[in-house]
Amino acid sequence: METKKFMGFLPVNAISIKDLFAFEKSFVNLLAIAVTVVFLVMFVVGVGNYLLHGHHVFNVTREHPWGLLIATYVFFVVSSTGLCIVGSLGDVFKFEALNYQLFSKRAIFGSIVTILAGFAVIAFEIGHPVRMMIYNVVSPGLTSAIWWMGTLYGLYLTFMIIEFIFLLRHEMRRAQVFGFIGLAVGLAAHSNLGSVFGFLNARPISNGVYYPTYFILTAFITGIFIAFIMMGFRYKLDFPPEIKKMLTGLAKIQGFLLGAFLFFAGWKMLTDVYGGMPGRADVAVHIFHSWTFWAEIVLAILIPGLVILLGQAKSHVLMFYASLIGMVGVFFMRYNLVHDTQLKPLQMMKTTRYQLPPQWVEYVPSTTEILISLGGLGLAFVMYYIGTRLFDLDESVTEEAPER
Amino acid sequence: MRVEVSRRRFLQNTVALSVVGGSALSLGALAAESAHAGSLPETTTTKTGTGSAEIIPTLCGMCVNKCAAFARVEEGVLTKLDPNPYFPKSRNMLCPRGNSGIQTLYDPDRLKYPLIRIGERGDGRYKRVTWEEAYDAILNGTDKFKGLAQILDEEKDNRATIGYSNGEGLSKEGFEVLVGQKIGTPNYVDEISICLETTLGGYVNTIGTYGEADMNNADYIIVAGANRAEAIITPDTMDMFKRTKKRGLTMIVLDPRFTNTAAKADRWYAVNPGTDLAFVLALTYVAFDEGLYDKEFCQKYMVGYAEYKAHILSKKYTPEWAAKLTGISAKEIYRTAREFMKARSPIYYQGRRSAFSPNDFQLRRAMAIYQGLSGNLDKKGGIIYGKKIKLPPEEVNAPMYAQAQTRFDRKGIAIPADKTGSWILFRNMILEGTAPYPVRVMLMRKHNPMSGVPDTTKTEQLLRKMDLNVMIDILPSDTAMFCDVILPEASYLERTSPVASFGGLEPAIVQRKAAVKPLYECKTPEVIYKELAEKLSEPLWKNTLKYDEDVQDDTKGMKPDALKKYYKENGFDLADAWEKTVEESNKERVVKAFGEEAWKILEEKGVYYPHMEAYHKQLDPNTYEYYPEDKKNYHVKGDKIKVVANFTNLTKKGVDAMPTWHDDMAFHVPKGKFRLITGRHAQFTQSGTTNNAMLRDLTPTNYVWINSRVAAERGIKFGDLVEVRSRIGAIRLQAYPTESIAPNQTFLLHGFGGNSRGMEMAYGNGGNDARIIEDHIEPVYGAAAMHLTDVEIRRV
Amino acid sequence: MARYGMALDYKNCINCKACEVACKEENGVLLGADKHRIWVGANAPSGEWPHLDIVSSTFMPSQCQHCEDAPCEEVCPTHATYYDENHVVRVNSDKCILCSYCMNACPYDARYVDDRTVTVDKCTFCSDTRLARGETTTACQNTCPTKVRTFGDLDDPESEISILLKTRDHFSLKSHLGTHPKLYYLT
Repeated sequence: METKKFMGFLPVNAISIKDLFAFEKSFVNLLAIAVTVVFLVMFVVGVGNYLLHGHHVFNVTREHPWGLLIATYVFFVVSSTGLCIVGSLGDVFKFEALNYQLFSKRAIFGSIVTILAGFAVIAFEIGHPVRMMIYNVVSPGLTSAIWWMGTLYGLYLTFMIIEFIFLLRHEMRRAQVFGFIGLAVGLAAHSNLGSVFGFLNARPISNGVYYPTYFILTAFITGIFIAFIMMGFRYKLDFPPEIKKMLTGLAKIQGFLLGAFLFFAGWKMLTDVYGGMPGRADVAVHIFHSWTFWAEIVLAILIPGLVILLGQAKSHVLMFYASLIGMVGVFFMRYNLVHDTQLKPLQMMKTTRYQLPPQWVEYVPSTTEILISLGGLGLAFVMYYIGTRLFDLDESVTEEAPER
Repeated sequence: MRVEVSRRRFLQNTVALSVVGGSALSLGALAAESAHAGSLPETTTTKTGTGSAEIIPTLCGMCVNKCAAFARVEEGVLTKLDPNPYFPKSRNMLCPRGNSGIQTLYDPDRLKYPLIRIGERGDGRYKRVTWEEAYDAILNGTDKFKGLAQILDEEKDNRATIGYSNGEGLSKEGFEVLVGQKIGTPNYVDEISICLETTLGGYVNTIGTYGEADMNNADYIIVAGANRAEAIITPDTMDMFKRTKKRGLTMIVLDPRFTNTAAKADRWYAVNPGTDLAFVLALTYVAFDEGLYDKEFCQKYMVGYAEYKAHILSKKYTPEWAAKLTGISAKEIYRTAREFMKARSPIYYQGRRSAFSPNDFQLRRAMAIYQGLSGNLDKKGGIIYGKKIKLPPEEVNAPMYAQAQTRFDRKGIAIPADKTGSWILFRNMILEGTAPYPVRVMLMRKHNPMSGVPDTTKTEQLLRKMDLNVMIDILPSDTAMFCDVILPEASYLERTSPVASFGGLEPAIVQRKAAVKPLYECKTPEVIYKELAEKLSEPLWKNTLKYDEDVQDDTKGMKPDALKKYYKENGFDLADAWEKTVEESNKERVVKAFGEEAWKILEEKGVYYPHMEAYHKQLDPNTYEYYPEDKKNYHVKGDKIKVVANFTNLTKKGVDAMPTWHDDMAFHVPKGKFRLITGRHAQFTQSGTTNNAMLRDLTPTNYVWINSRVAAERGIKFGDLVEVRSRIGAIRLQAYPTESIAPNQTFLLHGFGGNSRGMEMAYGNGGNDARIIEDHIEPVYGAAAMHLTDVEIRRV
Repeated sequence: MARYGMALDYKNCINCKACEVACKEENGVLLGADKHRIWVGANAPSGEWPHLDIVSSTFMPSQCQHCEDAPCEEVCPTHATYYDENHVVRVNSDKCILCSYCMNACPYDARYVDDRTVTVDKCTFCSDTRLARGETTTACQNTCPTKVRTFGDLDDPESEISILLKTRDHFSLKSHLGTHPKLYYLT
């Protein structure tokens, strides 16, 4: 395809709006388009509803102030960090033997897309996003994990975009430098997101080192799931040999990561339950009995893990499907993280006579929350699709582009 | 809840200020035909400001207790009610209802204009009219209903054809003057016979007073059937709970339910409903049997002491006997009896509530006598008599009507109350046709018998039977919806009320001043009385001239001038009782009794008592001293004290001279049924507060209590809709499974289940207990005995 | 400059909720059952009728504890939550972005969303109403029928609250969290 330079420095494919609609009318493609369009409509309806009626359209309450939108935001930024990590394998760390760079540019672009989708979703959960941008700078709360998380993610996005531009321009050395900085900032931002929960001394179930570290591990896992999905779509499940080789490598890493995560999750649960700490042990037992916990374990760990194990990391097509399932599991992982943190009421007495004593804080996302969350997914899909059209995301570059 | 919150969410403070304060009339109108359902509740809270404000002394009117308060008024809007630290009775406190009075004042459902019925009774269709038109409708009727003039003409000036009723309050007396003394009917019924008549009667007939329990100095108290933590009475509530929980006041609570008061008790006895009398008799037995009582006091002051002792011992009212009846173990009864008599200052708390069971009068007598046995009367830490500051009386020139017949609601009762009557007998005799003459009119004020009097169906029949019903009130109550003319009254915060005197240990007089001008077209009760009197006076006088032979004899041949003079001098000028405004009359009475300085203090502080300036001190941020210790009226009776144990005159009326247990008093519930008991809650008074937005946040609706094990057996869970059915009716409301009630009993809060669409929050919310409480009466005064109804409960 | 705190003689509490209503009316807190700055918590008695456990049925007035080390203040990304000159934990609604982190971080459930400003609201010890007018009590203290509350300056050794805390046993809620509440429950 013909290329041109956007604003004189960014190589983009010379396409028109019309070209965006020129795609093979296969069933899968049409389905993907339909899903995306539905999601986008949902986003518009959800945001419209929010703008009309305000925060009331969310089912967040005094006892459960963080809802589905926060979980979706976490889902997106973890995906972004994960793609950044996986992309860095080829681009920053030059694991050429495994041809990770076949995926790097796509991954870096994916990380930009997902974090943008995350920001789009959180903008509607935060009551005053514009005020946030002003007072984050004017009146920074340096003791706040949210401040660090937000600020670092802002920087991270900047570095990711710079890295991506260098990648497009084939300036691999610079891309590597910014990729490395971006990765470092991304990891910092991401573990800070974990610390948003880990610092909560009001919430024993979340308090501690677990979430900051688990976030990095699960980001890596998420990144590999998305890598399989992206490559699956890219090659319509008919992988060329070098891609197969790369996917096998990724699958092996994934197998190791899932094993590690099983240890993490297992010991977290065991210490929570048998550690006997009030406010933690009881909550953990409650979590153990919730279906969303098992959705997370089965979908995100056991199914993909078994597919990798039984296929000896070589059943790439199955891994594609397992990764789709895995992403659903990852979504539950994020939802659980947010919801479980708030499970235990902070005030355990009855405030009116005619009520049941507070037990567990119930939360069911409102329609609007679901609309905006799925809408975020739609945004990510569209941005990614446009990206695949606009940018050359899979050329395998092994040589340094000539300096100008 | 979410819906309501979001509906109010746009009502910011500033909006409320301008809407409510500026042009109050712009609030949605209840001109009944205007679709009320579409309008939103505009009540909201208003943050107090830091600028200038008027601070006006008022007196709370949210319940009967009367706590003094200061109203903060900013730019014409009442923004806050604060407790008044000068009033010894309420001692710088305001309960949740008192605090939420603002929401009642600014209730968008308020009656705003005089209304005349244009639909059928109960359908809520009314026409907005002028005051003159409303008064005229009362006198002359419309095409829908007859007026007073025609009815009195048809009844040949028998004024007793008018029944009237009024709820408690400072303007109640004026209504009695208007309808009872000036218009001249004896047929008055009020809340007394559905409330504490037997309590008052029992105590007054035994120790000469209801008295005041000195909670600050008592060290042992039995609280039976009084729920002071939830039915707040000052100063009792304030004083007792500062010393319970092993802090100087041992408290024994008897209540079928585990109430908030029980939660503060040292011991709680889940007594069977209606068996308190057996408990008191057993305590008395132990005192006599073991010689634990104050013998010197009894010998000196107890009338019939020897007979009573013989009576109790010979009847063998032993704790073992009482245990079977009450459900309280004999051991606990012995223990309580001994502790009580050994205590320095024990009080068997008088309580004050409806007559729950037919033996209530005798129960109160037995309690008062038992208190007498301890000798702890008229002294510090006991039940004290106190003093009252006297105000000059207001004279009423009441006319005599020869044609007016006497009241009739006395069938089968021993001591009929001439003034206040028996609501249930009055109603039922009219319905049964056993009243000796037709009662055709009900003039009502601030009273909602559809909710308050047991058996709403019969009350509705009564109201439907009348030719004319008139209501003066602030909200369109269920009863108002059966009235032909509705007059909107100023709420307590919009009116200056007649100055009132509160006696007791630390007596004082108080004055409620209008905090804001009457909203909408509302008028203060006294203005309504006056204007109505002016309207009715001459036409009714003509009717009297036409039928009253005494007046005809007196006025035979009189010239118009002489006739006019006769009319004036003999009180037939109905409006002459309101020649002075309330403000003028208050000033005149206070200045006459205590001088100008007292008036100044009363105007500024809302409270006055002699030496107030010298006596009143703030001891710490939470404590005030009103009288020095040696000036409190602990001991006022001296040797005049009398405890009537053997009231022989009662025998003539067919009432036991000494409290006696009869077998038919025993508690029994058929299997599978529940005994319905009623009671109060700190966040609600009666039906009048159920439309208060603030209070509804605290208690959204009433639930029916069911023992949780029984509920589990029947598959009833919290919040399930259940039907509660008695012999006379059924209501539906949500279930509240709890261990705080016995398996064979049930409870629901009174006042809910409103049926008037004009009260948006109260309408259809919960269940109205009056629909299912059977209309039993006790035999002494004919007061309602409310705890005799068995109900079935099933899930729907 | 004072260091304001409150002592609660909580055994006096009869769960009438006058404090909650007075607070709402004084400070213009929105109507709505979960929109409250202060509240009274109650435990249903344990045991089976009629053998109920009286002492298990307690009433605990509660609200923002005005912690010396307030988690809500620490986690605020924009310093919207701050300690004012009297050590009262306040929210500047102009700076609040409603990230709700403070609501999650507060161990006492003391914060809620005010729907008018769409920011987090909480107890101010009546700083901008009563105290601003020079009054010395909070609305909740003043109205309380059984006088549970004593508000005052902890730095003033002569203040009523200082004397109470010197002479009466007391405890704080969730003191193990190290938040150092300035609400003291007298025993």
